[in-house]
Amino acid sequence: MKNKFKLSPGKKRGIVGWLLNAPYLIYSLVFFLIPLIWAAWLSVMDWNLMSKNKTFVGLNNFKALFTDARVQAAFVNSFKYLVPIVILCFIGGLIIALLVSKLPDKIKGIVAVLFFIPYLTSGVATSVVVKYFFNYNSVFNTFLREHFNLNINWLTDERFAFWIMVGIVVWKMSGYYALFILSGIESIDVEVNEACALDGSKGFHKLIHVTLPIIMPTLTTVIVLATGLAFGIYTEPYLLTGGGPNLTTTSWQLEIYNTSFTRFQSGYGAAMAIASAVQIFITLRIINFVTDKLNHKFGY
Amino acid sequence: MKKKISIKTIIITIITLILLAISLFPFYYMVVQSFTSWDLVDKTLVPAGFTLRSYEYLIGRGGSTNSLMWVKALWNSFVVSFPTAVISVAVGLAIGYSVSKLKFKGERMIMNTLLFQMFFPTIILLVPRYMITRPLANSYAGMIIPLCISIWAVFMYINYFKTIPDDVFEAARIDGAGNLKILAMIAFPITKSVTTIVFLSIFMQRWSELMWDMLISPDINMQTLNVLISTQFKPMGAFPGPMYAASVILTLPIIILFLCFSKYFKEGISFMLK
Repeated sequence: MKNKFKLSPGKKRGIVGWLLNAPYLIYSLVFFLIPLIWAAWLSVMDWNLMSKNKTFVGLNNFKALFTDARVQAAFVNSFKYLVPIVILCFIGGLIIALLVSKLPDKIKGIVAVLFFIPYLTSGVATSVVVKYFFNYNSVFNTFLREHFNLNINWLTDERFAFWIMVGIVVWKMSGYYALFILSGIESIDVEVNEACALDGSKGFHKLIHVTLPIIMPTLTTVIVLATGLAFGIYTEPYLLTGGGPNLTTTSWQLEIYNTSFTRFQSGYGAAMAIASAVQIFITLRIINFVTDKLNHKFGY
Repeated sequence: MKKKISIKTIIITIITLILLAISLFPFYYMVVQSFTSWDLVDKTLVPAGFTLRSYEYLIGRGGSTNSLMWVKALWNSFVVSFPTAVISVAVGLAIGYSVSKLKFKGERMIMNTLLFQMFFPTIILLVPRYMITRPLANSYAGMIIPLCISIWAVFMYINYFKTIPDDVFEAARIDGAGNLKILAMIAFPITKSVTTIVFLSIFMQRWSELMWDMLISPDINMQTLNVLISTQFKPMGAFPGPMYAASVILTLPIIILFLCFSKYFKEGISFMLK
């Protein structure tokens, strides 16, 4: 006889399942779905974040994006950051991984972890060091002035500020990506290495024709991660350059933050955020397409 | 028989160590400047005029005006980061287990929601999230709740549970263990390596968060250490010495935490690639 108070195992699993997911679903509703709809609504409004008055402006916010120098700078800079960051992080990670993989086993682990430390550092701590290190009166600049007669304002000079930002990111991320590449390299079979030895493939030849193709999936991970990173730059330009000089170091995040919370154009800020999301989405699709093609070529 | 160390290995080791020295130079510089007497800060590359004044300044001595704000900020950073990491782990574990092992109706929908959020740029949500959370401004809840769930952490758990055979959980179920018991007594212990990585990564990310904390918690007594350093060092007049000392204190807990657990790292990283 069926007991009406006893739930079937399937139903019970269902209840437990939903209960376990309830906190996440409530969170998603409050901090994801509602904000998402709200953001779409904000993007067609003119509103200063405080006042009771909101004006419907239709697509004017989006139209204004096209003639805004800051938006153009953020758009162009995303790509300007993306290319060197992806390439240099990859090269940096690969060099560290290749070097560490050849180290004696005793010190391999600890060296890999030490290279990882920059990744753990808050952008704020890094910015403190960079800002003071490149200060006019710092030991570094004094040295350059006295010995090379060079007088460079690193953070306010268009030629250097951008590359300092890139340098910080590459310094921070290389050791992290090296761990990924390292575990890719170490997953290469002993047999493959033996076959290479027999065929006389070594050094650069082995790197290009054996190692890189085998760790291709790992590289895809690294490239996608670095892309997200390049689009998320905020702390360093916020603290070091404020996006300048001449908008050369600014980023979407920084411009959206400033538009929404220091110029109080939250409707316009929402439109900017949507535009940035479209750019990120399209860029990631392109990168996925390219890496898929490459992976396919190497038989993955 | 003693293994011979080849010249090649020695050269590679030396090159690696030089690269490592470059990579760690900013930390060296930061620590040296934090102990340097204030008239020599940034004017020297080697330790000079040793003093603890920069650190004393942070606990309200040595000419500081606001006695305990730095100590409070450090405390705030812990109070915000620790619960965030705990909640991320708990939620990740619960979703990971239920989605990959329970086979209940709705699993599909939850997976799709997760996938959608995974690749969604959260910058779009910034202003509305701020509006929703504004009643909680300058409170720990306002800093913790909106950032307490990490989709990345959830996927770490989902993927990890997929590698564990169902039999492990079935056996416990046949023995009469309830789902919560299975979760606590079986699922949690076997995910130790993932839990370590997730906990440390989320703790580190939360510890270094700037934009959200700056927005939602502008009151100087409720700022995290990360935010306090950035607000204090912006005006050009700030004393560099205490900024270096505060940066050392900001960096040290994270490095110590990771070094303590570094043996779990390789396992976790090689898992992250799957």
